[in-house]
Amino acid sequence: MSTRSNQPPQRLESARLALRYQKQWFADLHEHVSAGGRFALVNADTPHEILRVFDVPYVVNQWWSSIAASRDGAQRYLSLIAEQGLPRDSDQYNAIGLGSLFDADPSSAPWGGLPRPFLVLGDITGDVTRKVFDVWGEGEGITFFPFENSASTTAEPQWWDRLSTEWEALRGTDRIDLQLAEIQELIELLERLTGTEFDESKLIRIMRLGNEQAEWNRRTRDLIASTSPCPVSVNDSIPAVMIPQWHRGTEWARDAARSLYEEVVQRAETGAALADPERARLMWIGRGLWFDLGFYRHFEERYGAVFVWSMYLAIAADGYARYGTDPLRALASRFIGFHEHLYVAPYSTEWYVQQARQHRIDGVVHLVSDDPRGHWATTRALRAAGIPVIEVRADNADESSYDIEEFRGGVASWIEAEVLRGE
Amino acid sequence: MTEHGTHTAQRALEAIRDAAARYDAPVGSGVIGTVGRDVPAELVEAFGLHPLRLRGDPSWPTSEADEYLGRGLDEATRSVLAGILAGAYGELDGIVVSSDCDASQRLFYVLREMHRIDPTCTLPPVHLVDVLHLPREATARYNLRKLEQLSETLHEWSGRTAGAEELAAAIHNRNAVRELQGRVMALRRTQARLSGTDALAVLRAADRMPQSEYLERLTALVQHPEELPVQPGERLFLTGSNHDTPEVYQTIERCGYVIVGEDHDWGEMTSYGSVEIGEAEAVAGDDTLGGDERRGLLRAVARRLLEAPPTSQRASVRQRADYCAGGVESAEAAMLLSYVRVLDEAPLWDFAAQRRAVKVKSAVITNQRYGCIDQQQLDRALHSPETTGVNA
Repeated sequence: MSTRSNQPPQRLESARLALRYQKQWFADLHEHVSAGGRFALVNADTPHEILRVFDVPYVVNQWWSSIAASRDGAQRYLSLIAEQGLPRDSDQYNAIGLGSLFDADPSSAPWGGLPRPFLVLGDITGDVTRKVFDVWGEGEGITFFPFENSASTTAEPQWWDRLSTEWEALRGTDRIDLQLAEIQELIELLERLTGTEFDESKLIRIMRLGNEQAEWNRRTRDLIASTSPCPVSVNDSIPAVMIPQWHRGTEWARDAARSLYEEVVQRAETGAALADPERARLMWIGRGLWFDLGFYRHFEERYGAVFVWSMYLAIAADGYARYGTDPLRALASRFIGFHEHLYVAPYSTEWYVQQARQHRIDGVVHLVSDDPRGHWATTRALRAAGIPVIEVRADNADESSYDIEEFRGGVASWIEAEVLRGE
Repeated sequence: MTEHGTHTAQRALEAIRDAAARYDAPVGSGVIGTVGRDVPAELVEAFGLHPLRLRGDPSWPTSEADEYLGRGLDEATRSVLAGILAGAYGELDGIVVSSDCDASQRLFYVLREMHRIDPTCTLPPVHLVDVLHLPREATARYNLRKLEQLSETLHEWSGRTAGAEELAAAIHNRNAVRELQGRVMALRRTQARLSGTDALAVLRAADRMPQSEYLERLTALVQHPEELPVQPGERLFLTGSNHDTPEVYQTIERCGYVIVGEDHDWGEMTSYGSVEIGEAEAVAGDDTLGGDERRGLLRAVARRLLEAPPTSQRASVRQRADYCAGGVESAEAAMLLSYVRVLDEAPLWDFAAQRRAVKVKSAVITNQRYGCIDQQQLDRALHSPETTGVNA
């Protein structure tokens, strides 16, 4: 196997700027808290927009976990959790941040550690995530506000091109009514805690900006899908998409999404390539492998096999936009069963197949860990569509059981045998 | 008095043990398999159907089930799918799955997808009843709607309708069952007249013998408790994972302990609480709920589900600790033991708070295979409980 020695394009400016922005934002948050300000810790699939209406800054738990995991902080925080008599090896992706609550020396933690929030928002996904937030809620001065995680009882395979406008039918009135009532309860809580009134005009503006951001992401996704060779690494697209995602509803986030699109246009026009020749286009299904981000580049360099797809840009393109005249109801529909798009058949399976076809995928690396559901259906659907799939097993945020040689070796063998087929 | 009614408590117990060991229903048709504790039995019965709560068996191979569900979830649920695929439960007219835990939901999604991709699939049709548990009115309204939808499915499956009369009768019957179960559990809790293993059998047998016979057997137990010897051994309260088979109970009790209470959803909490028809009548005029009597009854059923005792998978750490501490105290247990299966992780998060909440010694055993308990870990838990922890 020949090594591809071509120089990859430099890191996306959009990714660099997003990371820089986030670092400064987090430093500002520290100052805000030091000056007596308050902030919230939120799970990714909760209606952050309400906090933004009240000008309450928030940190997304999964983002914080990814920071901790990529800077050797995961073991530190998991050990702190274990010292409390809580499980060290359970739902690590959601639990890592909880270690911050017990950290006596946050100054030595990644990015100066996570200050103490006054409010925690979480949805009751799975059996354990709620427990993690329960423990947060036991902390002095912290209120935990849970959201139900209602389940789809009917199956609608094709949603991605209808969801932004037909959300009432696709997500279901029962589920939206439930989430809406919970949001209204959260609003009442925030009015009490902040002493300010809910301003619907602010929410309308936030929703508009969020929709514009989603539209830019959709353009970027479609452009990457149609561009070969692929000009953008998932290592770059993930931060360039996800950091603005956590600032959804701001002008900065909307503009960051537009900048990403414009940069990808520029690269596409100049023929920038992650690998030349591009011998295979791969899809990464699952959460990011935060502790081994070199994984993706490794296969581009060694095999010319390029990861052109991750869920982060794709769900940003298809999962968030909501149009309608009732902003609260539209917002409620945004977070109902969000994980179903990613993990529950037939929503996830049909979407993955459609995305694989749109991106002209040659093979799928499917990360299977304990908590996400539906891997059988996902793998089956892709294989039924004639797309090679390898299932790889790891906890994406906890490297303690990760064997890099074995993990990469398995994927390498599969690429040679099933994707490149002795090319 | 019927033939069954002349049996002594001891003979009643033997019949109960036999029934509890069955996998299928005592009737030949109209059987609905149920998964999880949140399927309302009275609603199924109102349509003239027989609810059969499906349970696994640790001896069943799960390789075929694992192809669908994967191995990343509780083996007990994988075993249930193995039973469904093997036809171990007899003929089922349908399967109703509740959202009582993540594994149950995953089972539903797999069964639904199997039907979707293969129109010739011969497995029973499947329905998810998405009963939720946050103590909010919004959740109560949502649950009511889910019971309405379940009613529509049961109507479709059975070809019958269930109006207020049928539902009220079913509620009455099911309340009677729970009331008698509660009296039997009191014998166990206060006097240790039943081993934990037999108490589990009493609850497991509920849908595996004809209801009239079941009621007679329970009546025999409560009328003749003196025939049941007081169980020797140190009184132990069991928390953690649930148990749909007796093996773990048997092993613990062979070590000189008697399980006088537990807080899992195959145990004593299944007998908890009646559907309060009075409350249903009180809300019958609520326009937002439809205003008819049947809907009022349905609301009462939904209310019982919402207010049911806290399971590890659907309740907060605090709720679980409080409930567990109350159970330990009322059963006068001398020890709390948490038994946790592999990939049933919610109880791991409960244990620290439970340990703090109880006034007796406590121990935890983790990473156990379905239906098994490691003897070395058990010995350590029983003799050096303070050395155990969820990471130890």
